[in-house]
Amino acid sequence: MPSAYEFLAARAVNSAIMNAGYRTEPSSAVASAIPFYAEQAGECRLFEHAYQQKLPVLLKGPTGCGKTRFVEHMAARLGRPLITVSCHDDLTAADLVGRYLIGDGNTVWNDGPLARAVRTGAICYLDEVVEARKDTTVVLHPLADDRRVLPIERTGEELQASPEFMLVVSYNPGYQNLLKNLKPSTRQRFVALVFDYPEPEIERRIVEAESGADAVLSARLVKLAAALRRLTDQDLEETVSTRLLVVAARLIVAGLPEPEACRAAIVDALTDDGETAAALNEVVQAVISQ
Amino acid sequence: MEEWVGERWHRFIWRAADASYREAAVELEEVTRAVQMLFRAGGGDPLVRVVPATEQKIGGPRGWLQKVAGQGERAALSTLDEETLALPPVIAVFPDKELNRDLYLWLAAQGACLDVTRDGWLEQNMAATRHALERFPGLKGRYARLVRAHLAQRPPPGRLRGGAREMEQAIQDTLRASLADLAGATEQMAEVHASSPLLNTSPHSTPLPTTQPATVAPVWLWLQASETLQTAESTAQEPDPEAEKNKKQQEEDQKPIKQDTKRRRAQRTEDSTSKDGLMMFFRLESFLSWSEFVRVNRTGDDEDNQDYSKVADDMEELHLAHRQPGETLAARIKFDLDLPSASADDLPAGEGDPLPEWDYKQAALLPDRCRVQRFRARAPEEFATESEQVDDPAQAALAAQLASSDSRLRRTSRQVRRRFEALRAAPRWQHGLTQGDELNLDDWVRFQVDRRSGGTLHGESPAIFSRRVKSGRSLSTVMLADLSLSTDAYATQQARVIDLVRDTLFVFGDALEGVGDPFEMLGFSSVRRSIRIHEIKRFSESWDEGARQRVAAIRPGFYTRMGAAIRHATRRLAERPERQRLLLLLSDGKPNDLDHYEGRHGLEDTRHAVHEARQAGLTPFCVTIDQTANAYLPRLFGTNGYALVHRPEQLARALTQVYVRLTAAAR
Repeated sequence: MPSAYEFLAARAVNSAIMNAGYRTEPSSAVASAIPFYAEQAGECRLFEHAYQQKLPVLLKGPTGCGKTRFVEHMAARLGRPLITVSCHDDLTAADLVGRYLIGDGNTVWNDGPLARAVRTGAICYLDEVVEARKDTTVVLHPLADDRRVLPIERTGEELQASPEFMLVVSYNPGYQNLLKNLKPSTRQRFVALVFDYPEPEIERRIVEAESGADAVLSARLVKLAAALRRLTDQDLEETVSTRLLVVAARLIVAGLPEPEACRAAIVDALTDDGETAAALNEVVQAVISQ
Repeated sequence: MEEWVGERWHRFIWRAADASYREAAVELEEVTRAVQMLFRAGGGDPLVRVVPATEQKIGGPRGWLQKVAGQGERAALSTLDEETLALPPVIAVFPDKELNRDLYLWLAAQGACLDVTRDGWLEQNMAATRHALERFPGLKGRYARLVRAHLAQRPPPGRLRGGAREMEQAIQDTLRASLADLAGATEQMAEVHASSPLLNTSPHSTPLPTTQPATVAPVWLWLQASETLQTAESTAQEPDPEAEKNKKQQEEDQKPIKQDTKRRRAQRTEDSTSKDGLMMFFRLESFLSWSEFVRVNRTGDDEDNQDYSKVADDMEELHLAHRQPGETLAARIKFDLDLPSASADDLPAGEGDPLPEWDYKQAALLPDRCRVQRFRARAPEEFATESEQVDDPAQAALAAQLASSDSRLRRTSRQVRRRFEALRAAPRWQHGLTQGDELNLDDWVRFQVDRRSGGTLHGESPAIFSRRVKSGRSLSTVMLADLSLSTDAYATQQARVIDLVRDTLFVFGDALEGVGDPFEMLGFSSVRRSIRIHEIKRFSESWDEGARQRVAAIRPGFYTRMGAAIRHATRRLAERPERQRLLLLLSDGKPNDLDHYEGRHGLEDTRHAVHEARQAGLTPFCVTIDQTANAYLPRLFGTNGYALVHRPEQLARALTQVYVRLTAAAR
């Protein structure tokens, strides 16, 4: 069962359900444990307003730009537990809502992550929601508009969402899958928040805070990112993300030489093509001094 | 014997005088990819291509040996213009191979930072160096080594005279200052700028040239910005139709002989010499000359057979003259024959639609720039009745074509069709799953029996669920095939591009019919702003004998105005109710047409058309057999928006594979 979907709860929601095989990670709800997040353009305020108005939120942006971190941050700030579901192309509505499991001689109903979030008033975050199968929209639609109900077909139950419940979905508009896209009817139920890679100064602060690198090193990495991002569309499918920069910075801080760390964490992560990698390496060498 | 001695002498003296380091030479080809990427990463225009530069006259003092050998007069200088970054094809300036390679990389960085709007060659390069070092701090060490090595090669200014001396001094000062700049003294640069007499003499009274001055030896680390391009463009506003056509024709003729990508310096000049005869010279004879005077320009006919491409290489600049009259007659007739008369042409279907076109210079969509006209091939019966011949050769050829394709392609067609039928998704249940939407009673009973009988252990999740497999594909496709004249070229030993396209359309049509997805099949070509869309199969039609005959009847002609064709297809698809709409483009090269629709304009327009298609919720995708497509298609369709077929004979198969891959997600 856990292999089908991996989800994470920021706080233990229901210990009884934990035994059913879901992996939940309890974390302390102390304010000091709020994950680091550098605000870019007032998105935190917007999120808070949406939360108060009980509106679902759609996050879009390229990979590794901080969508997931943002949700974790906001959940901690609002003091709500977070249930994250990474969607994949085999994820069905039943995976979200729940299903009957075989008990000893009979069946036992088991809530899915979405149903649990609705019941307990958690923030439910569906990562890469376009990847999920189309039937999931059926359960998302009534939840995402003003009805805020989750119909559970199998049990005949109609779950009214608790006031603290919030639905957050994310997707990556520039993703490779040419024919997968959010339906307009789904998209229009959400408050949209657009993410992009942060401004150089903010990005530098993020790299610094996440990796413990000094200001000079992080500034250099951000400069490298700026150069590599000019190559998107033409030479690279996806460009270097803030996440990759942090990874590289951590390797360097751990003692790996800069060119080696950049090659492993950035160049080889971006491309499989040998020729492109060699050329990218030249760009890296031109920006990072040996 | 004399010739032999001469050759030997030439070889000997050439080698003796040669100041370059052949054993350390680095070729542009080895580093093109890195140069391109570095150029773009530095902020250079992504549409600029890296090409080998031609040789041009250079200045600077020469040693006596070089003078004897006639060497050192010409060299390939790095030049940046709107469309190309021209770099020397080979660099052998330094004895160290590493250093020569670094020079290429440095030129890319410098080129990316070169601000062509600034005045003056020296100023431009000075600013570019500063920018490049700021952007690529990792190049600092290499730059310092390059400058030191280059300064050692430059002639001491004391040995020069006059303007050359001042210029040389200024160059060397600038280079030294940039070295000092590296050490941290930023003011030095400014100081030189203020102290140099050359830079201070009326900086803005006249625009300084942006090309390398002819008086000094070339500075290998610097680039010159091409200024000839602007003048060319101003006169090229209203190009002479005949001359353009003619030029095109000649280009087409020469294309297969030699693929020459060198960037030549070109300048459009008015042909002002009037060699057409003297009229009012002698009063008495003037009557005679009136009657005898025929405006004939024989320059085109009198040329002997020499290697023109070689001549073009040797010339400093190519002068493209605007000539109104006197084009060679042969070329004009040849072209006129190319245009079909109304009676022989395909039947126009409906009125033409006006289409806009994107002008990247104005950054605006110009309305009604083009007109698209749909054509429909005449049915074979009509051919027969009109010509009143039973064995019309055209029809016979068509029938033969159809029959041969049928037998040849039957196997591929059947295979592909079978493969496609798997795509035809019908709703069905999948049983025996460890998880799913519903419990399956059979599986449940079997599981219980197994468990009660106690023999076998069961896992945590028994396979007792069923799940409904997704169905309901909602996908329509427009297939756009490029039918420009370039498809007349041979792609393989046996087949022309058009033949491959025809085969592909057959196979694809058969296959799509098997899937049941609605599709429209169109061919396109263009003559200037009128776009010819050849209807092969409409959405509303079925894939029948008529459609197959129309496929057999496609033939190459005219040019490729890709943007307009994409816009037309976009409109067709926008009317479709299907949720997913695919715009497939089958192409063999870049967009081009007679009037400026070449190079950058065509690319930008196409790019914008693709963008519009995306905005309309369509999925544009390009399948090409142009082996150089990697240079421009990512820009047009995005990295994931095209497929390059390396073996043209595999086109049909490759296209269907692409289709399967693209639409597999549309469950």
